[in-house]
Amino acid sequence: MITSASLRNCLIALVCGTALLILPGWPAAARSVPQRKTSTRQKRKARLPSLIGTQIRVIDEAGVKRLLERGTPPQERPLLVNFWATWCVPCREEFPDLVKIDADYRDKGLEFVTISLDDLTEMKTAVTSFLRSQRAKMPVFLLDVPDQGTIIELIDETWHGDMPATFLYDQTGKVVYKYRGPIKPEELRAEIDKLIGIKQ
Amino acid sequence: MKKHYISGLILSLLVAVAAIAFVPGAAAGETPGTGTAIGQPVADFTLPDPDGKTHSFASLKGKNGTLFIFIATRCPVSNGYNERMEKVWQDYRARGINVVGINANSTETAADVKTHAAEKGLTFQILKDDGKVADQLGAAVTPEAYLIDASGKLVYHGRIDNSIKGDAIISTDLRDAIDSMLAGKPIAKTEAKAFGCSIKRGK
Repeated sequence: MITSASLRNCLIALVCGTALLILPGWPAAARSVPQRKTSTRQKRKARLPSLIGTQIRVIDEAGVKRLLERGTPPQERPLLVNFWATWCVPCREEFPDLVKIDADYRDKGLEFVTISLDDLTEMKTAVTSFLRSQRAKMPVFLLDVPDQGTIIELIDETWHGDMPATFLYDQTGKVVYKYRGPIKPEELRAEIDKLIGIKQ
Repeated sequence: MKKHYISGLILSLLVAVAAIAFVPGAAAGETPGTGTAIGQPVADFTLPDPDGKTHSFASLKGKNGTLFIFIATRCPVSNGYNERMEKVWQDYRARGINVVGINANSTETAADVKTHAAEKGLTFQILKDDGKVADQLGAAVTPEAYLIDASGKLVYHGRIDNSIKGDAIISTDLRDAIDSMLAGKPIAKTEAKAFGCSIKRGK
């Protein structure tokens, strides 16, 4: 039965698919994301460093672009990006599922970062304490840009900036799955499994 | 001949379905429909206010334009804009712009809307939507503004300005759009985005 919701999703899929077809290729080799005290890490090329414990860093527009540049040759790992904020109730509610996905997939080859829209002044307070309470280990970036609209457009033209929102990129940097609203963990896991070659 | 036509139709339908099914990046989630595009007329609708009285879009039209803003009672971003939204209403009401808030969150009741407006000093009309007008306009986030000109066409859609806290405003997109519309000039930026809370539709 065709429900209005499925019809709507089909339409969105069609629109998004068309948008993707006209996207240019993802250029250049990936570099590590800028950090403050990172001389060794910055010299190390390629993917984001694996992290022990939560690291919260600031990211600007250039940083987001570098993060999304999966580049040629393709990266070893697919990339999962989640947009959230401590003030966003559904974001907080889905966070335990994201922490579990990170724990289950990081060693299986998934790169996972979250981008927080919290105010920079809350970096060491609300954001840190929330991540600690969640025992979150994935890298967390606080977005610091003068115009958020450019980032929303950069990520997805059809996105209005509503949060939470989750995007899964394959090894070549192509968006293969996106979800606006709290994720459905099983659906997201199935998409990740496809990318890292786990049979379902 | 007719048979060929029908099988051709079925074939093209199958191709279309397959194309949709295999397109990468298929979207999912609480996403709105395509909504109303810039330049398109906004179809009439009716919505109740928190007291249950019904208002039609036709009855809400300002002489020189109408501004709908999707708002929330519990979203910090929407609440961060309360004063700026009220100021837009105060600044432009005498110039023939009607400002109307729409609450389309199923998690927030009509009573919540009424209490919230009183507490926050919002004096413009606020209506309660079960999601149908959010779908019609394509709204997904709070706050999200829809500016409609005197002829009933959508002329601006998106954020109020670029700064949630109001301390780093570099782009007063909504006011710029209203000013251009009132001056009869083309609107430079007809759409602009900002992060906010997703609208919690009840379906």
